[in-house]
Parts: sequence; C-alpha cells; structure tokens
Amino acid sequence: MTSSAIADLPFSRRTLANGLRVVLHPDDSLPLVAINLWYHVGSKNERPGRTGFAHLFEHMLFQGSAHLGTNDHFRYVQQVGGVANGSTWYDRTNYYETLPAHQLDLGLWLESDRMGFLLPAITAENLETQRQVVMNERRQRVENQPYGLAGERLRELLYPPDHPYHWPVIGYMDDIAAATLEEVRAFFSTYYAPNNAVLTLAGDFDPGTAMDRIDAWFGEIPAGPLLPGLPAVVGDPPPLPASESRRRALLEDDVRLPRIYMACRTPAFGHRLWYAADLLAVVLATGKSSRLYRDLVYERQIAQDVSAYVNPFEAIGDFMVVATVRPGIEPAVVEAALNDHLARAAAAPPGAEELAGARSRVLTDYWSALELLSNRADSFSQFTTFFDDPGLLAGETDRYRGIAAEELQELAAGFLGPEQRAIVTVVPKTSPAMVSIPLLPGEPLDVPEPPSPPDPPLS
Amino acid sequence: MRTIAIDRSAPPPPGEVHPFHFPHFVRRRLPSGVAAYAARLPGVPLASVDLLTAAGAQHDPAGREGLATLTAALLDEGAAGRNAMEIAGGIERLGGQLGTGADWDVGYVGILSLSRHLEAGLRLFSEVATAPTFPAAEVERLRRQRLTELLRRRHQPSAIADEQLAAAIYQDTVYAHSPLGTQASISSLGRDELVDFYRRRYRLPQAILVAVSDLDPEEVLARADAALAAFPAPAAGAAGDAAAVGGAASEQPVIRPAPLAGLRLYVVDRPGAAQTELRLGHASVPRAHPDFTTLFFLNTLLGGKFTSRINLNLRERHGYTYGASTRFAGRLGPGPFVVSAAVATEVTGAATAEVLSELRRIRDEPVTREEMEETRSYMLGVFPYTVQSIGDVSRRLADLAVHGLPDDYYDRYLRAIASLSRADVQEAAQRHLNPDGLAVVAVGPADPLRGQLAALGEVTVRSAEELGTAAGSV
Repeated sequence: MTSSAIADLPFSRRTLANGLRVVLHPDDSLPLVAINLWYHVGSKNERPGRTGFAHLFEHMLFQGSAHLGTNDHFRYVQQVGGVANGSTWYDRTNYYETLPAHQLDLGLWLESDRMGFLLPAITAENLETQRQVVMNERRQRVENQPYGLAGERLRELLYPPDHPYHWPVIGYMDDIAAATLEEVRAFFSTYYAPNNAVLTLAGDFDPGTAMDRIDAWFGEIPAGPLLPGLPAVVGDPPPLPASESRRRALLEDDVRLPRIYMACRTPAFGHRLWYAADLLAVVLATGKSSRLYRDLVYERQIAQDVSAYVNPFEAIGDFMVVATVRPGIEPAVVEAALNDHLARAAAAPPGAEELAGARSRVLTDYWSALELLSNRADSFSQFTTFFDDPGLLAGETDRYRGIAAEELQELAAGFLGPEQRAIVTVVPKTSPAMVSIPLLPGEPLDVPEPPSPPDPPLS
Repeated sequence: MRTIAIDRSAPPPPGEVHPFHFPHFVRRRLPSGVAAYAARLPGVPLASVDLLTAAGAQHDPAGREGLATLTAALLDEGAAGRNAMEIAGGIERLGGQLGTGADWDVGYVGILSLSRHLEAGLRLFSEVATAPTFPAAEVERLRRQRLTELLRRRHQPSAIADEQLAAAIYQDTVYAHSPLGTQASISSLGRDELVDFYRRRYRLPQAILVAVSDLDPEEVLARADAALAAFPAPAAGAAGDAAAVGGAASEQPVIRPAPLAGLRLYVVDRPGAAQTELRLGHASVPRAHPDFTTLFFLNTLLGGKFTSRINLNLRERHGYTYGASTRFAGRLGPGPFVVSAAVATEVTGAATAEVLSELRRIRDEPVTREEMEETRSYMLGVFPYTVQSIGDVSRRLADLAVHGLPDDYYDRYLRAIASLSRADVQEAAQRHLNPDGLAVVAVGPADPLRGQLAALGEVTVRSAEELGTAAGSV
C-alpha cells in the first residue's frame, strides 16, 4: 500500500559557461521552491591567526550588495513569506531560502546579486556590527554553554595545529577581533566565484523555464581565478602523538556532571568505511537498546546519557563518542566502559539483526531529513560539491544496504583503537557541599536529550 | 536558450501564484472510542502515529510536580508482559522510534517508522499505550535519572532563566514549576500515584489519535484501531473522573496567576559567566482565546521573525546579541508572553531598556503600513513551508484536537491574517502586552548586572551557586 512520490529523487543538471554547476529537482507537491547555494569554502580554507573568518564572512553576505541595502536580504525574503539563512562548516558555506513558488525570480535576484556584486556593500560599519554579533554568537554557543569548550579542545587534540580541522568554525575571539576589511574583500574575490559554487533548486517549478532564468541571473557573472590549493597536511595528517598526555585534556567547567568526549579520525565522507562508521554509531548509541545505552545508562546506571556519531567531512571523517557521568561515579569507570565497547566492536562484527536495525534507523532518518525541500536541495548541493554527482543522493540507501557487518569491525579495528583516540574529560569546577535548599520552580523542558554534537554547522 | 531581460535595480515581479490547500484529512471516532485525525502525505515512505491524552503537566497536584512527565516516561518501561529492553529492542530492530512524554497540555505515545514496518510497530505502540505495567525497579531508575537531570539544569543558564521567569510570573499556580518536577516532588512520588494518574488520564474514549503517512489513511486508522482494541481498557480509577483533552471546560484546572504590579527584577548570579541570559515576560491568555490569531500576528511583527522590531533593534542596530525573539506560548491555560535573548553582560541594562521601549511603542503607536503588509505577506506566504513534513502536519492536526479548533481552522486562520488591520494589532498590543507589569530575569554575573538594572527598580539577587548545591542526595 506504499507509493512514495519522491523515492527516486529525480534531477537534471547543467554547468553554465562561467563554471556554476546547477541541479534542478522538481516536486510540485507544495507551492514552494527551495534555493540552495554551496560555496566550496569553509573554515578549512583559513589559516592560524585568522580563524573564524569564513563564518564572519558569511554574516557579511547578509549585509547587502550593489542593489540591496543592509537588511534588505531578510526583508525581501520575509515579506513574501520566505525563510532564509546560511551556515558555515569546515568544508563549505551554504546560503539558502525557501520561497513561495511564484517568487523564484526574487531568490535568484538576491543570490546572484551577492555572488556577482557584493564588493560595494563591504563597509567598515557592517563589518563592525557583524563582528559584535559573531562575538555574541561565540559567547552564546561556546563560552556560556555548559561543556561549551570541550568540542573545541577535542579538535585541538585530534589534529595538529597546522591542520585546519584543528580550530573551531566560529574561530577564536582574538582572531574574530583581528579580521580586516581588506581581508574580507580578498576572501570574496578568491572564493565567491561561480566556478566554486553549486546552485540547487528543489520544488514547484518548470525545469526548462527555471534554467533560462538561472542563465539570465547568473550567466553574466565572470568566473573567478584559480583557487589556492590546500596544504598537504589536510588530507594526510601525521598520526596522533604516541604520548597519551598529548592526546588527553582535563577541563574544569561550571557543571555538576562530568562528561567524557572521545574522538577518532575515520576515512572521509563518501568512503565505504565512513558509512560503516555511521552504522556503528547507531549500533553503539542510538536508541535505548543500543550497546552503550543499554549497558551504561540502563543496566549499570553509571552514565546519564551517551551518544555517538561521525561527521561527514570532506578530507577526514571524525567519530565521536560522548557520555555524561552520573553523580558519584568516577569518570574513569565510564571511560573504561567506553573502551570495552570499542574493543568489542573491533573484535567481532555486529549480529545480523543488530545491523539490520541500524540500517533501518539510518533509512528512517534519511527520509525524515528529505521531507523538507530545503534539506533535499542542500543534499544535492553537497554531493555535487564533493563528488560532482547529484545522483549519489538517491544512491545513499543502496550504499548503506551494501555495507557488510565485517566492515563495521574493520572500521573499529583500524580507526578507533586506543592510540587513535583524543579524549577530553570535563569535570565540575568545584565540589559544592550537598545541602538541602528548595530548588527554583520553573518553566518546562521536555525529556532529557542526549548531548548534541560539539560542532554542528554555524548559522 | 532564450535570452531573458533582467533588471537588478529592484525586486523582480512575482510570477503567477500557485494554489495551496491545507492537506486533506479525515476525522472520525474509531470503534475503540478514540477520536482520530488522519492524513496522507505521499512524499516519503514514513508513517507516524500519535496518541494524545488529557494527561499534561497542568494536572500535577501541588507538591506532586513531575507526576505527568514521570508517568509518561514509564509507559514504555514495561507493558503487556514485555520488559523495557524488549520494547525498545522490538521497535529499534525495525529502525523505528517509539516515544512517550508529556507537555503542559497532554500526555502522548508516538511512533515513527518506515511505512513497511508500521504494522509491527503499532503492536508495540498499543501495548505501551494501553497496558503499561510500571515495574517498581524502572520507577526507581527513572526517578534517579530525573533527579540527575534536574541537577544538570541548575547549570544551564537558559534553563535557569526560563525557570526563574516562570516562578516570578506564576507564583503559586501549577505553571510556576517545571513539568520535570522538583527534587522534593520527584523524590517523594510513589509508584501507586503514577499508576493512578495513568488509570484516570490515559483512557481511549477521551484520547486523540493522529496518523500521518504515505499510506491510505483509512487503512492506517483501521490497523491502529484493531491494535488498540486488542487490549482491554484499563479499569477506571475514581468513578466518573474520565478526562477529556481540550474542550471540556470542567476538566480544565483553574490557573489564574495574579497580574504583576510593576516590574519584578531578578538577577541569578553566575560569577564569571561569559554572557547574560535575559528574559522579560508576563502571563497571557490560553491558545483558544479569540485574540490568539491577532497575537500571532503581533508577535511576528514584534519578535517572531528575523526582521522583527526587537531582533533588528537588539541584533542589527546595536549588536547586543546573536538573536532576540518573543513568543506567546499557546497552552490550554494562560501561557506566558516571553522575550528571550542572550546578551553581552555589559549591555544588559541597555538591552532591557530597548525591549521595554519596544513594548511601549507598539502599544502607543500604530504599526506602520509597511510593517503591517510585510508581516501579513510573510505569515500568508510562509504557511505552506510550515506543513511540509509528516511531523508538521501531525502537530497541526493535534493542535486542532487539543485546543478544540474547527476542522476548517487553518483556512479561517489564513483569512483572518489577510483581513487584520493596524488598529486590530494596536488594540491587541494594548490588551495583551503590559510593559509596566512584567518580570525581568538576568542570569549572569550579579555585580555588573545589579547596577545596570537598579534604575528600573528593586533588584532581587539569587545565587546560582546556592541553587546549584540545592541538590539533596541522588
């Protein structure tokens, strides 16, 4: 009784003369169109001393362009009922809006204006306001968050200082303060060219007409210069230091529950073993019957929550395991339990039923994400940017089905070993005495959630 | 390739409007007694089924805070002869998710899975909803887990701010406490209380079923009903105490907080904090209040979108914050109006003054024609965006059911937005915003904050350290 309309994710593609790659995915089930642009530049393209620059720059792209005033971008999008944003991550920066279908031209106008005509709007005043906004963003997301600095410290241990996955996307405060107007201009001229971008449309439009409109709005923007290459260390960093003390850090924070963060490098997104890592993360820590939840949270009750995931990065993946320690339990006890489970994953493949459950869960999540047009457009842009093949999106389901149980073991044995782990333990700053004072009453929050990834893309 | 003339100097004219209709849905009472809503979204091969009951945290008795959420959390920890791990393993082998919980208004059991696994999932869903066993060991385990969660929240600045604001606004009513409960209440809740709460409040004839998937809705309803009917309804507790979700005024507890006289200013001290969590707010009206559509509009213009007055003021004009927003929380009872922002500590006083001035301005002066039309076109245009996913449509249908809204509510809503006037918005602001009777909460370093807020009135300082140690033993 099933008949899913978008199951085969149809698309067409073309490359404009200036190098802009275009992907069109028509779906007329709602009168909406999602426009998505990936620029192949992220914090990976920064250098030490100027970290956070790609993200600060992303903010500048909402401050107007030759034909648009400072707050016009959001104003024009919102006044027709659209939703817009952008985000920066290690490998890329994306910009997107979902609009009523009859406003397609508006979105193409906005995106082509900032791709082709940004420089006149890069002013000292706009830069100063956005510098303040970004500093507040860093305070809100990192410095004023319980455990907020752990993710940052973990990456510093996992990669050497000259590797761009070493520093956080949001950047360090001093670096955000140091960015100059001249650098903003140079960054634009280097990276924000049509030949370094992918444009995807998903939704209710006629593909032929849409392609003509895209040609009209974007065709006249000149291609940019040859892009600077990345240092060799990006794809091939030296192994983690042999000395355990250089792979481990202890942080004190204003928290009551200790937490353990473990990270390992894995093959890059797209590699078979990356998919094995994604499935292993489900086997280990997604759902109450997963291995870590069942043992640490349910049975032994030594952890409050646990999570595992692998980041889909272009140069190297990274596999994270995070566990929050129950009061009165030594963090070392929880760490030992995590070690045991990683050793078990390396010693034997998961059972058939366990793997089948993990595959079904990944598929459920895959379809849940693709319900939104904006996510579908973003995924097409992702596969086109990284692999020049939008068809890989529909192929994801077969890719997960094709991963054998032994590959999960191979991943764990080859990449998640004790010498391959960076570890950050967060402990309470003080050990306050247990006194009995009535607690503040208060406003809701839902059921406890597992800790979120330390480094999601930044808006 | 045709050559098309473009003009970059102004926004291009729109094309022809494509029609939109809220997804068609069926509504009927099933043989098991459940009131059902079902829709078909043909996009992806997923199925979602939710059962909602009149078991929200608004029914927590005084001193028993957390009863509703703890009861809901126990539902899938043992049912119909299966233990917690058999239930979790049963659904997770299918890659599905089974969730239980409670918010202020309702308790719920929900399932999401690939459509092809729905049948197997519905069996577990029905067991959990209709035959939970509340094993004593699981009650104790979840109690310890909840106490730990409450401890953790003592160190989350945003949670502290929300809780201090609710306490200030709602004083001795049920909304003053977190639905998660307090250390004292959670420590003392007994298994028999959970079982009793379940028996009185999770009854099929008073429940709502919402099913959205790519499958034929009638077929899904028939399967869900058959699965639910496989178990006898739990025996009634107190006679005649059957609970209805929404609508039934006799069931709705009285929640009537006294309006605040003047500004109540609170600082919760977090020495050395990198930033300050700021909240302003007061009690407002229930979701079913006839003004609520106008309040959505007012809120959108004031603080509900990026280009709203308060966000543009605090973020773009002053650079005080990464983002500021406002909301009217739509509940069965009088939920709060809240302004939220995380601001640089040194500008907390200035940011508070800006917010208060925006609240006054929107009462004192009509909004501009331009803002009016921008907000109107935003709300009309964005509506289809908010009904894209199975979860979106499920929530919209549940809102109809829980708040007793008519089947054609969303059409009416869009028509009402289309016809609101500037006078309507100003009148709503005058009736429902009170800048002279609200609570202000700042969670951050007390030393600079006390001085910054003192100009507005007397400041009560509470110590985060002292709150953080108020743990009892867990």
